[in-house]
Amino acid sequence: MGAVTTVKRAAPGLAALLGNRRLPALAFVLILLVLPLIPPFNRQDFTRYLVGAVLMAAQAVAFDFTAGYINIVNFGFAAFVGLGGYTSGLLAVHFGLSPWIGIFVGAFAAGLLGLLTGALTLRLRGIYAAVMAWFVGLALMGLVRNLADVTRGSLGLNVPLFFASADNLPYYYVILAMLFVTLLVLALVIRSHLGLAFQAIGQNVQAARASGINPTRYLVINFTLSCAFAGLLGGFYAHYYGILTPDVMLTSHTVEILAIAYIGGRGSLWGGALIAIPLGIGVELLRIQFSDLPGLHLVLYGILLILVMIYRPAGVAGFLRGLDARLRRPRAEAGATE
Amino acid sequence: MTSTLSPQAVPLIRRLLTFTWITIGIAVLVMVVVGIKYPSILVSTLATGGMWALMAGGLALVFGVMNIPNFAHGEFFMIGSLVAFTVFTPIQEELLKNPSTLLRALGPFPGMIIATLVGAILGVVMEVVLFRPLRRRSRDQWVMNTFLLTAGVSVVLVNGDQLLFGNDFRGITRYWDVPPLELLGVSVSVDRALVFVIALITIAVFSVFLRSTRMGRAMRAVSQDETGAQMAGIDLNRIFMLTLGLSCGLASLAGASLLFMFPSYPSVGVQPLYLAWYVVILAGLGNVQGAVVGAFIVALLQTLTVYFIGVGWVDVLPTAFIIFILLFKPSGLFGSEVKGVWEQ
Amino acid sequence: MLELTDLESGYELLQVLWGVNLRVEEGEFVALLGPNGAGKTTTLRTIAGLVKPIRGTVAFRGRSINGVAAHEVSRMGIGYVSENLNLFPAMSVYENLLVGAYAVRDRAQQLATMELVFELFPRLQERRNQLAGTLSGGERKMLAIGRGLMPSPALLLVDEPSLGLAPIPTLAAFEALKRLRERGVTILLVEQNVNTTLRLVDRAYVLEQGRVVLEGTGEQLLGNPHVQEAYLGI
Repeated sequence: MGAVTTVKRAAPGLAALLGNRRLPALAFVLILLVLPLIPPFNRQDFTRYLVGAVLMAAQAVAFDFTAGYINIVNFGFAAFVGLGGYTSGLLAVHFGLSPWIGIFVGAFAAGLLGLLTGALTLRLRGIYAAVMAWFVGLALMGLVRNLADVTRGSLGLNVPLFFASADNLPYYYVILAMLFVTLLVLALVIRSHLGLAFQAIGQNVQAARASGINPTRYLVINFTLSCAFAGLLGGFYAHYYGILTPDVMLTSHTVEILAIAYIGGRGSLWGGALIAIPLGIGVELLRIQFSDLPGLHLVLYGILLILVMIYRPAGVAGFLRGLDARLRRPRAEAGATE
Repeated sequence: MTSTLSPQAVPLIRRLLTFTWITIGIAVLVMVVVGIKYPSILVSTLATGGMWALMAGGLALVFGVMNIPNFAHGEFFMIGSLVAFTVFTPIQEELLKNPSTLLRALGPFPGMIIATLVGAILGVVMEVVLFRPLRRRSRDQWVMNTFLLTAGVSVVLVNGDQLLFGNDFRGITRYWDVPPLELLGVSVSVDRALVFVIALITIAVFSVFLRSTRMGRAMRAVSQDETGAQMAGIDLNRIFMLTLGLSCGLASLAGASLLFMFPSYPSVGVQPLYLAWYVVILAGLGNVQGAVVGAFIVALLQTLTVYFIGVGWVDVLPTAFIIFILLFKPSGLFGSEVKGVWEQ
Repeated sequence: MLELTDLESGYELLQVLWGVNLRVEEGEFVALLGPNGAGKTTTLRTIAGLVKPIRGTVAFRGRSINGVAAHEVSRMGIGYVSENLNLFPAMSVYENLLVGAYAVRDRAQQLATMELVFELFPRLQERRNQLAGTLSGGERKMLAIGRGLMPSPALLLVDEPSLGLAPIPTLAAFEALKRLRERGVTILLVEQNVNTTLRLVDRAYVLEQGRVVLEGTGEQLLGNPHVQEAYLGI
C-alpha cells in the first residue's frame, strides 16, 4: 500500500495513467527488472533472449501508437527502424560519434522520413498510406543495398557497441529503460488532447473534420512520433548486435512486429509489450529446438495473427480487460451506492 | 467496368479521359521509340507486361468486388510457379528421352493449366475458411482487418514453402526448346512470344466474361452495390468464391507462365506482389481495366529502369515516380474518386 | 400473404421494432406510415432479409422466413425497392434491369418483363444505355422500381418512392404503383406523403416508436383525428 501511495504523490499523471491496473503493472515492471538476476534466468543466453524480446516489445508499442490509434498500418515500419540503425551506425563508423548520441540522431532521421512520408500519403485513404509506407520501406532497403560503398550493403556493416564488455546485462537495462520511456511518452501523448484528436480521427474522419480538427496534421504528428521511436530502437539494435544488413528492413520483420502488436491487442499500447516477452523468448527457444526448420516462428506468428484477426480482434489485452471487468462486477454490486 | 461514378461525373470523365489518353499516348509513343532503338526491351516489356496485367487485374478485382487488399497475392504467383515446375519437370525429362514434336509443343501447357486450377481452388478455400468467418463476425474495419489477415497468410505461405520445399531455386531454362523467332529483324524467344499471346487471350476472355456474361455482370454489380445485388437475388458468398478463385487463379497462371524467367523459390512472389500493388495504386484502386492497361506502362517503366540504371534501383525510382503522381492525382492515373477514410 | 407477428427487430446497438403486427393479403395495396425514426424502413429491411429479427415472426405465404438470406427472400418472390435505391451507378439502365433479372432463367421472360418496365417508364427506354449514376433523381427512382419488378415478384416492398422528388415525378411514381396494383402485384408501401398515400391504398398501418398504433382503411385513417392532427396538419 505504501508503494502505491508514493507513486500517487510523486507522479499523479502516471498513477492516473495506470488507473486500476496499478498493481499488475507494478508487478510486471518489477518482474522485468529482476528477472535476469535470479536463477535459473541469470544466464547470458537467456538475457540475450530477453533483450531481443524487450526490443520487440518496444517496437510493438511504437507500431501500435499508429495502428491502434489512427488506424494506419505502417507497413514499412522495419525500414524506419533500419534507418535509425544505419544512421547511428554509419555516424559511429565514419565519424566516431558516440552511440549514446547517435541513437538520437537516428531517431531524428527516422522521424524526418516519417514526417515526409506521412505528409505525402496521410491525406489519402488508409490503404494508400499503408501501401505507400511499404513502398518507401522497399525503396529504402533498395537504396541501402545499392549504396554499398557507404553502407557495405549485404556484406554487413560492423557497428561499435554501447559497452566495452560482452556482458548482456547492461544492454538489458538499457532496452528496458527504452521500453518504459516509449510506453510512458506515448501513453502520455494519448492522454493529452493530441490523443483525443487521434482517437476521434481514427474512428470517424468526417466527424473529426466537422469538429474543427485538421485530420492530416494530427495523423502526421502521430506517424512522425512513431517513426522517431522506431529509429531510436533501430539505433539500439545497431549498437547491440553490432552488425547491420539491409535485411533488417525486410517486410517480414514488420509483419513480426505487427503480429505481436495485434495479438497483444490493437490500441492498448501495453498489450504488445506484455505479449512480446513470452512470445519473444518462446520463439528463441523454438529456434534452438528446431534449428533445422528456419522460419517456423514466422509461420506461428502468421497463424496466430490470422486467428486473432478472425476470432479475437481485441487480442490478449481485450481478453484481459474482459476478465478484469468480470472480476470487478461482483465487488461493485456488493458495495454499490454510487 | 468496376470503377464507380458519381452523378456529376460526366464532365469529370471527359477531363479524366483526356488525362488518361494522354498518359496512354505517351506510353505508346515511348514503347514505339524504344521498340525501334532497343527492340529487346520492348519484347521484355510486352512479355512481362502481359503477365503483370493478369496479376494486377486479379488484385484490382478482389479489391473492387470484395474490398480486400490481398497481401498474399504474390504467394499465388509462387504457388503457380511451384506447381508448374513440379508438373513440367517430369515432362521435360520425358522429352529428353523421347523427343516428339507434339509433346514439345504442348508440354508446358499441363503445368500452366494445373497451376491455374490449384491457385483458383486455394483462393476459394481462402474465402471459405478465412474471409467468410470474418464477414460473419463483423464488417467493422474490414479493409484493415483483411489487409492484416492476408499479410499473415502471406507469411505462412512463404515460410511454409521454405519449410516444405527448401530455399533452392527451382527453375527451367526454357519452356519451348526451339530457336527464337525472327520478327521484323528482331530475335524473339518463343517463350516470351507465347507468354504474351497467352496473356492477351486471357485478358480478352476475362473482359468478355466481365462484360457480357450473367456471372460477370453479377460480379460487377456486387462491386458497385452489395445490397442492390442481394436485392436482385445474387448470392454474395458465391460471387466472393468466384472472385477470389479467379483472382488467385490468374496470379498462379502468371507464375506458371513466367517460370522460365522467375524460378520457383519461397519469396519469388515478392516482386510480382510489389508490381501488382504498384499498378493498382497507380491506376486507381478497384479499377480492373485501368490495372490491365497500367500494367504495361509499369512493365515499361521497370524494364527501362533495369536496362538504363540498374537492377538495384527497380524499387527506388518507381517509388519516387508514384509519389510524384499521387501528389497531383491522388486517385491514381485512371481512378476517378478519392476517399479520405479506410472504409468505403 | 405476408404476416408479421410481434416482430422485434433492430441493429447491433439499437433495437427499433418492439412488437409489430401487420398483415398484407394477396392483391392488396397496403401502406406503412409514421414519423421519421419510427422503424418503417427497418420493418421493410427485416422482411427483405437484410436485418435479422430479434423476436417474433415474418411469415410469407404461411411459412416463416426469419433469418432467410436476402437473396433467397428475393428469389422467393419478395421484391424490395429501398429508400436509397442501391442502383449500380457504373452500369447502364439496361444492365441494371438485366441484373435485376439475375434469378430469372428464361431469357424470353426477361425480355418480356423488360418490355413491361419500359412501357411503364418510357423515360427509361429513352435512356437505355445511359449510366445509372448519371440519371436524374426521378429517373433513378423509376429505374429502382423497374429493377425491382424484373423478377416478377408477387409482393413488392417500396420504401419512400416520393422522397426527394418534385411534384411531377412524385405523381409519376404513384401512377406507376397504381398501374402495378392493377396488374395484380401486391404492394407494401412505406411513405411520408400521407395524404396522397391514404387516397391510393386499400389499408394502412401507422407505426410510431416501433409499434403499430393505428390500423384501418384509407378512408378510415383519413378521418382519424390523431392522423389528421399529427400527419395532415389539420
